[in-house]
Formats: sequence, C-alpha cells, structure tokens
Amino acid sequence: MQRYDYLKAIAPEAGDALAVCTGWGAREWWAVRPGDGNLKTRTLGLVSSIAAGLALALPQRKVIAIDGDGAFLMNLCGLPTIALQNPGNLIHLLFDNGVYEASGGTATASHVADAVALARAAGYKHAIWVDTPEDFRAEFVSAWRRGELTLIAAKVDPGQPKNLPPLRLDELENKYRFMRYLEETEKKGILSPGFDSKL
Amino acid sequence: MDPKLCAAAIVDGLKKAGIDFVATLPDEKMVEVIRAVEHDSALKHVPLCREEEGIGICAGAYLAGKKTALIMQNAGFLNSCNALTTTSLQFQIPTLLLIYYAGDIGDRGFTTLGSVTEPVLQALGIRSYILRKSDEIDDTLRGAQILAEDSKKPVAVLLTKSVLGVK
Repeated sequence: MQRYDYLKAIAPEAGDALAVCTGWGAREWWAVRPGDGNLKTRTLGLVSSIAAGLALALPQRKVIAIDGDGAFLMNLCGLPTIALQNPGNLIHLLFDNGVYEASGGTATASHVADAVALARAAGYKHAIWVDTPEDFRAEFVSAWRRGELTLIAAKVDPGQPKNLPPLRLDELENKYRFMRYLEETEKKGILSPGFDSKL
Repeated sequence: MDPKLCAAAIVDGLKKAGIDFVATLPDEKMVEVIRAVEHDSALKHVPLCREEEGIGICAGAYLAGKKTALIMQNAGFLNSCNALTTTSLQFQIPTLLLIYYAGDIGDRGFTTLGSVTEPVLQALGIRSYILRKSDEIDDTLRGAQILAEDSKKPVAVLLTKSVLGVK
C-alpha cells in the first residue's frame, strides 16, 4: 500500500478541513481532495508546525497535517511544542515510507525510530499505528469526532501513481488562494489591504 | 530602568503595533519580556523548543489572520535561517522578529554571534533596526510591523541590554 491509498480513504471524510502537505504527498492530496483549503509547504520539517499555527489561530476549524517520516524526524522538537499547546482541532497524519522520497529516495532513520512512541513521549495523548486504509479512515473519523490532538501513522511503500494531475500552483498563488478561501469560509478579512487601498 | 518596566513597555509596544500572537524561546536577558507575554491575556503565547519551528507556527497563524512576533536570541535567529528563507521569504509572510543582540557592543561572551548577526540579516534581505532607548520602543515596533505587513517579509528589531534594562 502507498500513501495515496490511505489519502484516498480519508479524503471523503475531510470536509472543509484545512490541509497542510509536504513533499510528494501534496500532489496526491490535491488529486483526492482538490481545492483552495490545501497548502503545500517548502521547508522540510515544518508541515506540522505550520499546521499547528493554523490550528491555534482557528480553534473551531479542523486542520490536517500530512507529514512524512523525513519531515517528522527533522522536526522532532516541534512535537512537544505542539503537545504543550494541545490543539484539539489538529489531526497529524504521518506516512512513513522509510525514505526521503522527494529528495532522491535514500533511507531515513525511521526503521529504528518509532514515530508513535516519539509522539506519545513528546506529550501527544493520542497516537496510533494503523495497518490498512480502512482502519486509517476509522481512526481519522474518531479523531475528528473526539476533537483532541491525535497522530495517526502508517507504514507505506514508497512511490505514487503515475497519472496524477500536476500541481499548477507556485507558493505565492497557493498562499493567496488559501488566504482568500479562509476569508470566504471564516467570513473575516485576513489579508492586509496595505497602503494602496487608501489611494 | 527596571527590567520588569522595560518588559512591560516592550509588550505594550507589541500590542500597540497590533501583535496578538507571540512565539518565544528565551535568552536570560529577555526573561521578563517572555514572562510579560505569558501573563498577557491579549497575547497568544507559544513557547518553543527550537526557534525554526516558531517560523512555521507564526506562518500558519498569519495565514489565518494573526499578527505574529517571534522572540529569540540571535543564536535562534541563525537556527531559523532555512525556515526564514523557504517559508517566510518564499511565501512572502510577515513576522516581526524580536532578537536579543548577544555579542552587541558591551555584551560579553558572544562576540562571534554578534559579529555575524547583522551580515546574515542583510544577506537574507531582512531589514533590521537596533533598539537601544526605551522612548523609541513604540515607534520602532509599530514601524517595523507596518514595514513587515507592507513588504510581506519578516522585519527584525534587535533588542539590546539598555532597552531591556539589564546588565
């Protein structure tokens, strides 16, 4: 099973949740849940921190972080920070394929480092390994209903389907569309109009 | 001036500048500022384990409408350089950086850190202002935040011992 199989399983349950993605997972998530509520990060490791910032700023809105083992291991110190804030609206998903997939496919340390144990030790009250897309979907739905910070992790095979649509966004278009989407759905102004609005 | 009064003036300046979300990692010289942030109900305080994650947390909060500041030492600024480059600058996300200027003139023990701080800020294209006098706190913080929002980039304010009231 690949990450895509798991993402496909949870997409119908994701509603209007904001999704923050990293690496190759971004293109897959856009394919299964297209829309402007998706953000692709560019800094390896920061997907969980950016998602946490969103979750803290919008406590009534569900936020999903779609993490990978390389990014997760790079930002281990971000886990206690998130656990200390304990945002109940954040669902942290981890797809562990054992490699730095977007960086050429060499191995990460995930075969010796248990991500669920790390998250629990960092203070996550809910963290669980799941073996099938069906169970992943069930855990995702439970986490959504429970409304408490949760990590759901799965070991997956590297790779992705070959026929996915390309992501036709650079980071600025992604940012502006994401912010406009938030303004629309949260019914509040977010983007500073700036000096030009007074001219 | 007493460090607590200085801290209160800095936190007051942050709020006048519109800041409502503050991530921090302490330097000994800024402990009173961080305590004042922690105890201010108008500010969401996020204590960090490493400064680079603070760039991510502030970026996420900004996208959702918060006005964010990151309080750290210049060692933490150096820890944050990749995130500043590939998140803040690449996505054009404003964040006010309040950086304790260790190794500044008269500050002993971190001269190497002090010597690279301003050159690295310049190399990243992050505009920076040194705050030494308490009567310049409000204008500098407000001006820096306006500059950050208009330029959609981080702006750094370097805090010194004199403005913090510490020795």
